[in-house]
This record gives sequence, structure tokens and C-alpha cells, in this order.
Amino acid sequence: MAKTRRVFQILFLLFFVVLFINARYPYSGSLPSDIFLRFSPLIPLFDFIQNLRISLLFWPALIILVLTVFLGRIFCGWICPLGTTLDITSCFIKSPPNKKALRFQKLRSLKFIVLFALMALAIFSIHLWGFLDPLSIFNRVLTVVFYPFATLAVETGMLATSEISFLEEPTYWLYDQFKAIIMPENQAFLHQVFWVALFVGGILAMEKLSRRFWCRNICPAGAFLGLLSQFRFYERIVGDACPVCNKCQTECKMNAIPEGDLKKTSKIECIESFNCGINCPPKISAITYRWRWKPYRSKPDYSRRHFVQTAFGSVAALGLISIGLKNRSQKHQTIRPPGAVEEDLFLDRCIRCMECVRMCQSNGACLQPGGIHSSLLELWAPVAVMRTGYCEFNCSLCGEVCPTDAILPLPLEVKQLTPMGLAYFDKDICIPYAQNTDCLVCEEHCPTTPEKAIQFQIKEAVLKDGSTSLVKYPYVTKELCIGCGICENKCPLPGAPGVYVTRENEKRLDPVSLREESA
Amino acid sequence: MKRREFLRTTALGIAGTSLVTVFNSHVFAQDSFPDVVWVENGQPKNLLQTAFKEIGGIHRFISKGDIVVVKPNMSWDKSPEYAATTNPELLSELVKMCLNAGAKEVKVFDRTCNNPQRCYKNTQLEEVASAAGANVTQIRKNRFKDKAIPNGEMIKEWPIYEDYLEADKVINLPIAKHHSLSRVTLGMKNLMGVMGGQRGSIHSGFSKKIVDIGSELMPTLTIIDAYRILTRSGPQGGSLDDVKLTKTLIMSPCMVTADCTALNLFDLNLEQVGHLNEAVRRGLNKYDLNNLQIRKLSLS
Repeated sequence: MAKTRRVFQILFLLFFVVLFINARYPYSGSLPSDIFLRFSPLIPLFDFIQNLRISLLFWPALIILVLTVFLGRIFCGWICPLGTTLDITSCFIKSPPNKKALRFQKLRSLKFIVLFALMALAIFSIHLWGFLDPLSIFNRVLTVVFYPFATLAVETGMLATSEISFLEEPTYWLYDQFKAIIMPENQAFLHQVFWVALFVGGILAMEKLSRRFWCRNICPAGAFLGLLSQFRFYERIVGDACPVCNKCQTECKMNAIPEGDLKKTSKIECIESFNCGINCPPKISAITYRWRWKPYRSKPDYSRRHFVQTAFGSVAALGLISIGLKNRSQKHQTIRPPGAVEEDLFLDRCIRCMECVRMCQSNGACLQPGGIHSSLLELWAPVAVMRTGYCEFNCSLCGEVCPTDAILPLPLEVKQLTPMGLAYFDKDICIPYAQNTDCLVCEEHCPTTPEKAIQFQIKEAVLKDGSTSLVKYPYVTKELCIGCGICENKCPLPGAPGVYVTRENEKRLDPVSLREESA
Repeated sequence: MKRREFLRTTALGIAGTSLVTVFNSHVFAQDSFPDVVWVENGQPKNLLQTAFKEIGGIHRFISKGDIVVVKPNMSWDKSPEYAATTNPELLSELVKMCLNAGAKEVKVFDRTCNNPQRCYKNTQLEEVASAAGANVTQIRKNRFKDKAIPNGEMIKEWPIYEDYLEADKVINLPIAKHHSLSRVTLGMKNLMGVMGGQRGSIHSGFSKKIVDIGSELMPTLTIIDAYRILTRSGPQGGSLDDVKLTKTLIMSPCMVTADCTALNLFDLNLEQVGHLNEAVRRGLNKYDLNNLQIRKLSLS
């Protein structure tokens, strides 16, 4: 069983990686990348809290939830790519034995506190669960940390090798293959890479405290699945031959077998990895499994005291978030992708999985995981940063891959008329205004049709030496500008741009108005 | 010597000399080739074949074993009917002709304005050129080499794509379009696609800067695609109302001559187009523009 489980783990890991890689231009075909999130056990729960419905859209998660009731936390042990990553990590960094990790045993209750606190906050319409959802975390780290890192290693490595004359031809051949099939995107430069790396690095580093430390103690999805798995429909039988070598207990990933009683398993903690069976000494093989419901109840490590802690914790979080930073002066900087729903709802729906950021990297590369500009809740929600990229006029893929409809899937012709913001000229530095000489790079790139949003006037300028010259002065027409930011991106000024986009004039859609727009 | 023999020898002699003259006219006919060919009213493929026939055949430009760079305009994420990028049929036929003429390799690339993957795909140019046998590659950022421009008035050095500099022959294949800053974008402006660095800075002082760099990048042959031209909102376009079907092709061994000839498409004269005016002022035109040997023909 443990071997089968490992095969499943690898297959699911590859599946999620393939979905991730597939999320890029041209993104046509039968494999929708956003289905990865539909596997998350948390999504039906929080969708229910938010919308009071059980959506069949999340069928993979619903199937997992139903299976969990009868098979236990198979998601954690067999499917979850973050769990698999943690297993791989612990091979390298040598987790301590369970006996040593016993001192963290009381932290198990933390995951329930986390889950219930997230639910409480969700009821008060603050949705933070996405930060801690394992699938969201996995996608986030691939997008923000791993993939840019891999691009850097491959690109610089290969380009450096190509400088060696006799390796030039083969290296370029390899490079072209690689660019064509695996990594067509340019190097990504993402703002929050350090913090995301720290976040995920922390989760991985906790393997040094115990195996699956994250899954044992923190993961809200694990807590939810644990609570569901009371009716597990198989049991582990420990035969009379058992020499009480305790190997099943010490090798258990989750420390789910209590030390004194090897015949018992905590149904709540067990992730069905079947490590106990494979670790039972082969000549004895005292552990067998069979299909039968063994009616006993595993109690979650969640007491009345923990409930009080949860209540205090969530009230405190709710209050702190509500009274936290509200900085109006930077609000205009958080430009959202085209098709984003109204801001509060957007922040509620967005689970920071970075799927849109990933997609954008193979297009205009404007989307970035945002920092905190005008409110604490904005952390890691996608913002368009025009100086690093711009919104590609013929692309509406970010909405197409958003798994929670925080960004609505706009038809291209609707997207091309939906402003994300408005461009302004900074006439103090814009070349024609400041230097009385032609430039018009912004006008050249302005993509709106049938008229460009950036037009120009020809006026006579008096130069320093007293002579006059005709200069083309650009200006923005508000009614035409969609805030795509290609003007800001291509502005040849070396530092601050002479034309920049603000959030003013942005148009947020809701599904109803979208339907009207499309019609 | 008998009179008869004398007459025969003389006759043979004269015949022989006249033969030499006929032969001569074929060998030294280069002088009688037109400076520029203007073909109209045909499909891209026929326009190109006719133009090559009129200008003396592709063998005049491409020798066996040459590495040829064909530089189309594939700068924008637009499909061909918007006339923002070079006609795919034309590129396809040109690549085939080069290979048939014995070219060892035909390279096609462009440093695009929009996302390069999108541009290569949606202009259809990558697909047709690869199918025709060209080697279509994305720009590799480590392959720009600083090119000295000793005669430059404003620019003394600029990074240029290595493949362009190392090619045996270069065929410039721009599309004729409106452009707000330079009035038109033709052969000279199309060369911006092989320039590295911060290209936006070329825009201020455009006429002088583009001629500075362009003077070091003169292609072997310039073919201006004017099958469809963009008459306003250039160089990107995006509206079919701005596209004019002119079914024309202009070919010349001199880029400046080709560009100046193409101004007729837009009813412009040289004084109105700063960068071409500057190029002529510096004498970059191979042929006398006031006395141009232009061959103009219309296919039915």
C-alpha cells in the first residue's frame, strides 16, 4: 500500500506541476489550469460560508470530502502536493524521530484553532483562508519563487555556456528546445519574492522540528479533513506476533499511533500513508489492514480552553485588521487586473494563488503579488505594476485562469474596453514638455482602437537659443484610455516615467453587468 | 588571299564581333538594371517574383552558400490583415526563393514591441517562415554586440543583433505604414528591430539618430511590402478602416531609394519625412533621386 501511495503522490505532484506549467500563453486546449484549486478541501467550506451554497463546480473537492469520511485523510497522504514536497524535504533535512518531536504534540490543537478562526473571520467577511490553503501555497511558491529561480539558473547557465566557442551550437540548440517547450517566458522579477520565499521556506524548515510539522499542527485543510474522518471504513489490525518494537509508532509521519497502545490510531491525525505496515519487520508482518468499520471515536485535540483561545484570537484579528492601516495616499497605486470585481469582494475572493501572476508572466508581465499599500488585507493580491510590465491588449487570460472569479473571465472585446486605470502625463519630466523635443514612444505603443487614447498636438516651441521648432506634445483622452500601462512601460526616461497609470477611472465589473456588457 | 576568302573572313569577323557585343550586353548588363522596381496589382507571390525578374534575378544578390538574414516587421501582436506587420505570403515566398538560389541558411527574427511569443505567433510569420525552411528564432538578449558608428552625429555606438552583423546578405522586408513621429515607417525604421538597448531613446532626435545607426546597417536588398498599407494610427493600427489595399511591392538594392520611392504611396514628399531627408542630405542614397531609373509595371 505504501508503494501505491508513493506512486499516487508522485503522479498528483506531476499533475499539479503540469497544470502550473500549462498556465501560460497561448493557453489553448483542453486542460484548464484553474482546476487545481477545485481539489482544495477548504474551497467548498469557505464557498459555503461566503455564498451559502454547495457548488458542483468544486466536484473534485466534494469527491475528496466524501471519500475522506470513509477513507480518512487520503488527501493529505496521497494527493496534496505540499505534503509530497514536505516528504521530499524531510528526506534531505533529516527530521527528528517522533519521540523527540513529542514536545510539539500539544501544538496539534493549533490547526483547529487556525481553521475555526479562519471560519469565524470568514463569517465576518474577512477571507484569509487562501493564505494557508495548501494548494494555494504550492502554486504560489512555484510562481513566485521556484519558476523565476529555475529560469535564472537555466537562462544564465545556458547563455554563459554558449560563450564557450565549441559549445555554442549545442547549447543554443538545447536552449531553443528548452525555450520552446519548457520555459518560453522571460525572466520574472517579482516584488514579494523574498517574503513568499520566507513563508514557504518556514513551512519546509519546520520539517526539522518533526516530520510533517505543518500538516500535524497548522494546516487548516488537514484539520477540516481530520474532523470529517470519523467513519473510516478500514482498520489496522495488529496481530499477536507483534514484538512491540514500536517501529510503526516511531516511523509514523503524523505520530498518530499513541505510544502506549500500538493497536490504536488517531483517525483525526492519520493521513493513511501506510507507513506502519511497511515498517513492521518483514519476518513478523504483524500489521495487516482490512475493510471493516471499527466503531471508536478519536477525539480532536481541541478543548474548551482552545475554543476560548480561538474566540479571542479571531476577535483580536478581526479588530486589528479593521483598525489597521488605511492609507488613502497610496490607494491609486494598487491597479487591479482587468475584470477584477469590486475591491472588497476582490480581496475576499482572491486566495493569493498567483495563477494570474503566472499567466501574466508569459504575456505583458505586469501583474505582481502586491505589497501593503493602503490596507493590510492587500498583501499578495495581484497588482499591475506598469514599470515592470504592461497589460497586453490582446490578452484576457488572467481572468480565464482565476479559480475563484476574483478576476472575471472577460471576453477579449469586453476587456479591451474595460479600464484598469487612467494614464497621466508628468509634464515636469515628460521629454517633449520638459525638453521641447519630440519623443512619442507612448503614442506609438498606445493600442486602443479605433482611436489611440494618446494623441498629440503640434505646437511651436521656443528653444534655449531663441530659435523655434515644431514639437509634438502628447496628451491622454480619458474616454479612450484603458490604463493598460504600455505607455508607462515603454517610456524611455530612465527613472520615473513621464506618463503613469493610476487607479482612477477603473471599471470593476460584477457577473451581472458582465453578462450585459457581453450582450 | 583571294577576294572570296577575304570577304568570308571579314564577314565572320563582323559576325563574331557582333556576337561578342550581344554577349557583352548580357555580361555587363548591370548598368542597365533599374535602380528601383515598382510592381502593382498582383498577389504578394507574383509581385515578388516579377520584381526579382525585373531587377535582374535573385542571383544578383544571393550566392551559393550565403547565410541570409531576412528582416520582416513582426513587431506587433496583430494578425496580417491589420497591416501592422509584413505579409506572411511574401515572407514565405522570399524565404523559398533565397533557399532555391542556394542560400545555406535563412534567418528570420525581430525584436518586437509587444510580447515576442504573441507577435511571432499572431503575425503568422513564424509559422510560414519555418514552413518555408527559414530558421526563426527569438531574440536572445546576450547576442547584441556594440557596433561602432564612426560617422555618427549623435550616436557613436549602438548594440546590434549579432546575427544581423554576421550575415553574408541581408534582405530588409518592411511593411509600409503610417507613423506619427517619423510620418512613415519603411526600410530604415524597420531596422530598429535589430537594435538592442533602450530603443525609446532613439525617438528624441529621431531623424539624426536613426540615420546614424542605419548608415552602418545598410542591407543588400530592400523589399517594401505595400500589399496592404496602414494609412493612420500607425505603426500599430488595429482598425481595418485604416488599412488600404494597394497591392504593390517596391524593390531596390538601395534602402534609401526604396524608402523615398515608397513615399508616393502616402502622397508625401521627401521634405516632409525628416529621417529620409536626413539620409539623402548625408548622401546615403546609392542612386540619383532626381534621375531615378525606375521600372514601374502593373500585373493584370
